[in-house]
Amino acid sequence: MNTEAILAANLLPLIIYFGAILFITAVMLGGAYFLGQRHRAKAADEPFESGVVSTGDVHIRFSVHFYLLAIFFVIFDMETVFLFAWSVALKESGWFGFIEALIFIGILIATLIYLGAIGALDWRTRRQRIDTSQNSR
Amino acid sequence: MNADQLAALAPIITITGAAIAVMLAIAIRRNFLLASGVAAGGILLSMLALGLAWPQSPAQVTLLMLLDDYALFTMALLLVTGLAVLGFCYDYFKDREGENEELILLLLTALLGATVLVASSHFAAFFLGLETLSISLFALAGYPINRARPLEAAIKYLILSGVSSAFLLMGMALIYAQSGELGFSGIGHFIANQPVMNTVVLGGVILIVAGLGFKLSLVPFHLWTPDVYEGAPAPITAFIATVSKGAVFILLLRFFISTDSYGYNPLLSVFSVIAMLSILGGNVLALLQTNVKRMLAYSSIAHMGYLLVAFIAGGSIAPGLVIEAVTFYIVAYFITTTGAFGVVSVLSTPQTEAGDIGFYRGLFWRRPLLAGTFTLMLLSLAGIPVTAGFIGKFYIFTSGADGRLWGLLAAVIAGSGLGLYYYIKIVVVMSMNEEATVRKAEESSGARISSATLAVLSLLLIWFGLFPDHLVSIIQSVSNTVR
Amino acid sequence: MLGLLGWVPLIPLMGFLILVMAGDQLSRLIISWVGAGSVAVSALLATLIGFEFLDGDMQPYRHIVGSWMTIDDLSVPFGFYLDALSMTMLFVVTGVGFLIHVYSAGFMEDDPGYARFFAYMNLFVSAMLVLVLADNLVLLYLGWEGVGLGSYLLIGFWYDEPNNGYAARKAFVMTRIGDTAMALGLFLLFTQLHTLDIQSLLSLASSQWAPGAVLPVASAALLLGGAVGKSAQLPLQTWLPDAMAGPTPVSALIHAATMVTAGVYLIARTHPLFLLAPTVQLAVAVIGALTLLVAGCSALVQTDIKRILAYSTISQIGYMFLALGVGAWSAAIFHLLTHAFFKALLFLAAGSVISCFHHEHNIFKMGGLRKAMPLTFWSFMIGSAALAALPLTSGYYSKHEILLAAFDASPVLWAVGLLGALITGIYSFRLIFVVFFGAQSQTVEKKPGWLMSVPLLLLAGLALFGGMLQIPLNSVFPVLIDQGNDHTFNLVSVITVASPIIGLLIAVLFYLTGTFSAQRLSDGGLAGTLRQFFLSGWGMDALYETLLVRPFITLSTMNKNDVVDGLYVGVAWLVRGLHRMASATQTGRVRWYGASMVFGAVFIIAIGLLS
Repeated sequence: MNTEAILAANLLPLIIYFGAILFITAVMLGGAYFLGQRHRAKAADEPFESGVVSTGDVHIRFSVHFYLLAIFFVIFDMETVFLFAWSVALKESGWFGFIEALIFIGILIATLIYLGAIGALDWRTRRQRIDTSQNSR
Repeated sequence: MNADQLAALAPIITITGAAIAVMLAIAIRRNFLLASGVAAGGILLSMLALGLAWPQSPAQVTLLMLLDDYALFTMALLLVTGLAVLGFCYDYFKDREGENEELILLLLTALLGATVLVASSHFAAFFLGLETLSISLFALAGYPINRARPLEAAIKYLILSGVSSAFLLMGMALIYAQSGELGFSGIGHFIANQPVMNTVVLGGVILIVAGLGFKLSLVPFHLWTPDVYEGAPAPITAFIATVSKGAVFILLLRFFISTDSYGYNPLLSVFSVIAMLSILGGNVLALLQTNVKRMLAYSSIAHMGYLLVAFIAGGSIAPGLVIEAVTFYIVAYFITTTGAFGVVSVLSTPQTEAGDIGFYRGLFWRRPLLAGTFTLMLLSLAGIPVTAGFIGKFYIFTSGADGRLWGLLAAVIAGSGLGLYYYIKIVVVMSMNEEATVRKAEESSGARISSATLAVLSLLLIWFGLFPDHLVSIIQSVSNTVR
Repeated sequence: MLGLLGWVPLIPLMGFLILVMAGDQLSRLIISWVGAGSVAVSALLATLIGFEFLDGDMQPYRHIVGSWMTIDDLSVPFGFYLDALSMTMLFVVTGVGFLIHVYSAGFMEDDPGYARFFAYMNLFVSAMLVLVLADNLVLLYLGWEGVGLGSYLLIGFWYDEPNNGYAARKAFVMTRIGDTAMALGLFLLFTQLHTLDIQSLLSLASSQWAPGAVLPVASAALLLGGAVGKSAQLPLQTWLPDAMAGPTPVSALIHAATMVTAGVYLIARTHPLFLLAPTVQLAVAVIGALTLLVAGCSALVQTDIKRILAYSTISQIGYMFLALGVGAWSAAIFHLLTHAFFKALLFLAAGSVISCFHHEHNIFKMGGLRKAMPLTFWSFMIGSAALAALPLTSGYYSKHEILLAAFDASPVLWAVGLLGALITGIYSFRLIFVVFFGAQSQTVEKKPGWLMSVPLLLLAGLALFGGMLQIPLNSVFPVLIDQGNDHTFNLVSVITVASPIIGLLIAVLFYLTGTFSAQRLSDGGLAGTLRQFFLSGWGMDALYETLLVRPFITLSTMNKNDVVDGLYVGVAWLVRGLHRMASATQTGRVRWYGASMVFGAVFIIAIGLLS
């Protein structure tokens, strides 16, 4: 039996299954579409037809600091994972592993210096920073 | 790992070091010129390090990387292109507001990803390189964060690239599930030892092709291309169009040759369909485009289609010729595309990106040299003789004819015909004499590095178009090592 | 000296290049020095070469300048060939050309296109020299087309006037018909004889081809086609009267003295071929005879001074063809020479008249110029006398010789020639009497300066005494077999001499003394119709209009939206449609992009698994 024959034989149930899914979904959605009622009332477009009318914009702006905090955590956490893996195999990896880990940590330190220098670790908002600088004057 | 392997890795290590150095330089003193200078020095050092790596080749460094002559050659190509893009970036961003230094850093990490990609011989290195490249590119594309278009481009690229990575990982997983191998040569052994075609491995390879097809913007994975090309800053677009695509294509080629996936005939029909669709689709989409960046985006889709023709020919002709054809075409395409986007980037001002074709009206009268360079680049893209693009297309034809891919060659011919229309259209627009558009104030002469780069690119274009032998002999000598 | 042969056509070409490239910056004086000077140098060289050539017993001399092209067994050098025939032509082209250039310097002095004019003239002279000196047919063809180009450019010289452009185009297209035939002739000769070198080709033809065989007849007929077009013979003569739209010196140089006689030169040059094809040679004679009659009749009734001269040129070239047709080769070339003198003289004199009358061309609006312009009058007298072949003028010697040769061949041809001579006498003196006698109708504004007068004087001398020249063509042409008829004082000779004199007398009666009125004659129904018929050049233009131009225009109108073009338009339309459809997929929505990637992946997996 060649490959294509195997394929075709195996495919048939799959195709039937796929067709059945399509059919059922179509019946469910289409049935609702054709049998269901239509409302043209104004309130019909509200998210909660019978609830309190919502106010304001849902696109609230969060301060980017929260995001930064999260991302820093993930990054440095991941780095500990690497170091942890190294610490388990400290003996086996030997001096070579040690140098590699040193390089890794070195890069991490460089990154940290960089982050500090660009002010990414300064948690104050812009307003607070302006206030501080005014106070110090 | 020993000293020899370390020497072989030296170019990649140098690039990494350069990235860290730039980062520290920014931390110490925020200065765009300083950052650019450090980066340029790093790239140059890395090129010198290639000389260090050369005697070691071919060197298998751990399981992950194989640094043979071909990998080193393509690395050199990527590094030179990266340097050219850096030059364009400097002129493009130096007068812009905001903190532009991180752009240089990201450029280096992207370059790092690309160099890892072309040397990888293992799925892990492959994926790491690709993601390093891609993630840097998201940030690069959206670098002018206060503008809508770059941001849109970055978000689109990010999301869709995520989808493509998912395909890629799924494909790798399928292959691993069957073969238990992640290294290319191991997979090659597995495939060679299979008595019948393994459908799951085939499916895995197709999924990988789908994932890479996104990066190469092949139809039907091309829809992101024009939006990202248009939105991203022009030098970054040049980078995406050349370094990113070139590295991915070279990886695809290496993957195919070292795993001997050419044995899967269905794959060739998949590629044939993709190539046909890309050539015709790309050209048809570019036809009436009025935005130069979008037009170049569509044309790059078509060019990747042309490249695939030579690639597919590998099913029936010797791999040496395929590599030769593909590599020459990539070199020509790199020069041309970098040059074309370089012109766009020189023309762009901090206020407007030079995308709309109206921007080019009467360019011959305002800035004849720039317009001449652009014309040269467009002619090369169209494959007109005397340019390197012609030799490249000639290679495509030769390998296609050797492989008896008549249908695809017909598509290439039709596509070239269509291509001529929209390339020449720009030239026509540039030569229109529109006195009204002459704006003296716009005459900036501050793009000295870009101008020099463009001049060098033009010379190279003509040089390789007239005397391709030098380049061809180099490519031949490095392509023999690929296994 | 002979080694300098290559420079003869080169110097005018250099003049052309200088004038084309720097013409706008140069002063008029320098332009005229470059323009006329280059031809003068050429003429000087030609004279020196001529002396040496005559000294050397007229041995044909071949001068290869360099290779032009070499393709397979076709090798075409830039080779020049000098024998008595090309020497004669060389003298005509450079000598008459030089005089006309000098005249032009005066005639065109107020024209804004001064440099352009001389550039074109130099180009023409250069091409004409290439034509007459060429030692292979391809180079000859280069010169042939070169003079065609020069003619086209100069007829349409005053391009502001659309009609001049049309005239130029007409001349180009009509001669092009002949040129096509000639090119075919060249191809035929080359494919059959594998050489284009004229001398070896002719000797090969004579040795390989039997007289009257198909090949020589066909090739001679095709060459004749070219000659007919260039020399404005029936049925391709209609372009020459319209070509008078160009400046008068142009008409003198190109459309009287040199280019239009190129056809005569071509036939004379390839006469062994024609000897091999007696039917074609007869056709040459018949064409010549018909043309001289037809054009003569048209010249009778024209009112435009230049058109009269144009028709007379056609008619005189008809005589040359007649001579060629009856085998009187040297007589034809001799008439070519004398015709160049007196027709150039006539045109230049006409140019003086025209420029005095603010470019008035109608002879009936002139009159009584005899006193006002004595020099022009006498030039015209001499020219017309030579044209009418009155005894002792140059035209007499040559035409007489032709008519006698025609008589030996066939009395019918002789009779036609005789009638033509009569008509020539009438129209040439009609012109003189109308223009120079009678009451002076207009005042003369401006008299020709010395630049215009000196060439007139010199040409008048040549027209008068040019008949004394003994051109040594026997080395080129076979000597006519003397049939023992001594025509010196017999009846034929007397009648031949008498006919133009009778024509002169008729003209006197009609136009000088007013004994008969041409007006009254042409008022009659039949005569009036005939007059109209002649005036329109025997209705040839109208004939071509209905036979060729109209159907062609109708055809092209029918095919206005080119049928074949529809295919390409269709492709463009299709591609645009595809572009629009494909562009619709570029929605810019990430969800659609992502979905399309999934569809695409499913699609290619399907292809991979099912193929």
